[in-house]
Amino acid sequence: MSVIEVNHLTKYYGKARGIIDVSFHVDEGEIFGFIGPNGAGKSTTIRLLLSLIYPTSGSGTIFGKDCIKYGPELRQEIGYLPSEVFYYERMKVIDLLRYSASFYDKDCTQRLQELAELMELELHRRIEDLSYGNKKKVGIVQGLLHQPKLLFLDEPTAGLDPLMQRKFFQLIREENQRGVTVFFSSHILGEVQRLCNRVGIIKEGRIIEIADIRTLQQNNYKKVRVAADDLDAAYFDLPGVTNLERHDGTVRFFYKGDINAVMHKIGEITVSDVTIEEPTLEEIFMHYYE
Amino acid sequence: MSMNIFKQEFKMNLRSVITWSVAVAVLILVFVSLFSSFAQDAELLNEMMAKFPEQLLTAFGLNGVNLATVLGYFGFVFLFAQICLAIQAANYGFSLVSIEEREWTADFLLAKPVGRIQILTSKLLAALSGLTITNIVVWISSFGFINLFRGDRTYEAKPLLLLLLSIVVFQLFFLSVGLVVSLLVKRIRNVTPYSMALGFGMYVLSVFGDMLGESILEKITPFKHFDPNYIIQHGAYDLPLVLISASVIVISLVGSYLLYTRRDIPAVV
Amino acid sequence: MNIFVRELKANLKSLLIWGVIVILFVTIGISKFSAYYNNPEMLAILDDMPPAMLAAFNMQAFNLTTVSGFFGVMFTYYALIVSIAAAMWGSDIISKEERDKTVEFSLTLPVTRSRLVTAKTLAALVNCIGLLLITWGASLVSAQSYQPDAGFYSFLALCMLALFIMQLIFLAVGIFLGCAMKQYKRASSVAVSLLLGTYFLSVVSGLNKNLEFLKYFSPFKYFDAGVLLRESKIDIAFVGLSLAIILVSMVGAYLTYAKRDLYI
Repeated sequence: MSVIEVNHLTKYYGKARGIIDVSFHVDEGEIFGFIGPNGAGKSTTIRLLLSLIYPTSGSGTIFGKDCIKYGPELRQEIGYLPSEVFYYERMKVIDLLRYSASFYDKDCTQRLQELAELMELELHRRIEDLSYGNKKKVGIVQGLLHQPKLLFLDEPTAGLDPLMQRKFFQLIREENQRGVTVFFSSHILGEVQRLCNRVGIIKEGRIIEIADIRTLQQNNYKKVRVAADDLDAAYFDLPGVTNLERHDGTVRFFYKGDINAVMHKIGEITVSDVTIEEPTLEEIFMHYYE
Repeated sequence: MSMNIFKQEFKMNLRSVITWSVAVAVLILVFVSLFSSFAQDAELLNEMMAKFPEQLLTAFGLNGVNLATVLGYFGFVFLFAQICLAIQAANYGFSLVSIEEREWTADFLLAKPVGRIQILTSKLLAALSGLTITNIVVWISSFGFINLFRGDRTYEAKPLLLLLLSIVVFQLFFLSVGLVVSLLVKRIRNVTPYSMALGFGMYVLSVFGDMLGESILEKITPFKHFDPNYIIQHGAYDLPLVLISASVIVISLVGSYLLYTRRDIPAVV
Repeated sequence: MNIFVRELKANLKSLLIWGVIVILFVTIGISKFSAYYNNPEMLAILDDMPPAMLAAFNMQAFNLTTVSGFFGVMFTYYALIVSIAAAMWGSDIISKEERDKTVEFSLTLPVTRSRLVTAKTLAALVNCIGLLLITWGASLVSAQSYQPDAGFYSFLALCMLALFIMQLIFLAVGIFLGCAMKQYKRASSVAVSLLLGTYFLSVVSGLNKNLEFLKYFSPFKYFDAGVLLRESKIDIAFVGLSLAIILVSMVGAYLTYAKRDLYI
């Protein structure tokens, strides 16, 4: 069942383009990554789905219902973690969390406490006195305390220290295992790679590609690095090899094809180090950013 | 209407409400306490005013006013209270929704499972409740201080009552106009110049209105719709003018709802 | 200095708006004047008015039928307008750095905080002078149709000087509030409230002999237009008091801003 369905969604801010003719769907239980350069339209898409802004044309449905018409009702089960977190002046953390909880029909107190402990929140400090990262943590708890079925994450880990980042991802994975669908917008490709099942790429307002992460990586090249004495790069000039170069005593290349051919070549010489890895999302998609 | 939003908004406004209430109460106290020294020159005053050209009287809001009487004097000084009440209500109106965008809390509130209509209604009611508290303070202090300082002069209760009740609609005017204007403007960085412009602007219009386009300008400003001197003298409201205020309020409120439900909430950039 | 120039440009629009407000005010005011101009009836009436009444309308000892007299009455309202503008410019120009989140840019430039405050104060000062000149000009132009005498010009000049000092007072207080107040968002409303409060004090102090001492607390009372008109001089004592206020405010501003923690 599609949790999110977007059909030819377009948004113009006056004459400036927001997004153009964007269509995709997100299935239940997926972690869907949404990546693209700055200004591509990632936030615009999320804001349209949350009916913070209204489309110029096209539509979006969540849980099968139009996201604008049924907005308030749908948001009972939606959690939103925006990229920048601001709260009311002089409000304490615990006050904000309780205020947030008061909007939902369920009893959130237990979950609230659990999350607050997990993210190590200082409940009785004023939000405005917190550091950026700590504010983010408040934002995370605020977005999750009502146990929503769908999560919108907009650059969620910016500002978190590595330990917190790990905890956060752990949290997301756990939620996902319980059936929560996650829509994850980021331009930290490493994160997306670690977490997502499918990925959509948006650039200059249009969807460039939507694909499964595994498929993308498998259909892609392997990165090979071989370090050996007196190694000539031409030794590895095989069919399926590209970007062959020699650097500092190491030969590197990308290879697509039967890996055994490469293994044979390596086996025939004495090497000091061999590395064969899958390309990162970054390497696959860098050209999309250009 | 969402109770939790209402409570939160009301709490956030409370400090301001108390400040304004105290300020207006003090203002009334000071002016009313000076009544006796004024009334001493009562006879002189009345003779004087009989001789004034009408334009001078209107310019100082004294046309037909008997400053020697309790209500005549009060009606005159009430103008200052009205200016304060106008600015207060205008403040609330202009910042009602714009504060979410100024403090960037819109992403929080508007991603909650509440519709825009509910949000706006809750905020409006919270602002109104705050204003009502101020109004109650004004009523109590007016009655209280008048009775304290009037010496042995008497006054009619009805015109005073009408005058005091009029501030409700008076403030609604500024609240709703402030609100609708804030939704028409792209971005409000500082509310103070706007509310001062609306509050003082309407006051200036009332004072100088008779100079420019005559009645036209007078019809616009609520300072004329709820002219204290008029109410005191006639013991009644100038109904056609009050209706103008009422229609402005209705149009502004309807407009505000329409604008707010369609508004694109910009992201924190 | 570039901060100065940048602030000038940023505040130009505000100056123009206030300038228009002043011009409108002068125009409306002068049109009212036509009713009183050389009106002998008016003269008689004014002579008979009880002092309390005149005080309330700030009309004491004024001959409303002459141009100078009229402008003397307008003086208080001029003072209100230019002072509110000065107070708002002063408080805003400092607090806007935190309000608009530009602190991390402006205050990490290779300038000391004092230089920053100086540059901004000067820019706001330029605005105040500009507004004053507009007021002066508008008054001159509008008075032309009433053939003012030489006394008028010197009186007007003296008024402008008094207005300038008042602007300086409220500008300095505004700057101080902007620098000192931790709750920077409230700086401009506190500045304006303070100003209105002193205005209120000035009205009250004139109403009752017992309350005359209040005049030391209100800049609106420092320069009595009546005295300016008849005696053509400014009370040096009050000038001194004004300068003292300005000095204390500005020193306070520099000291507090230098030590202040700037957050986003």
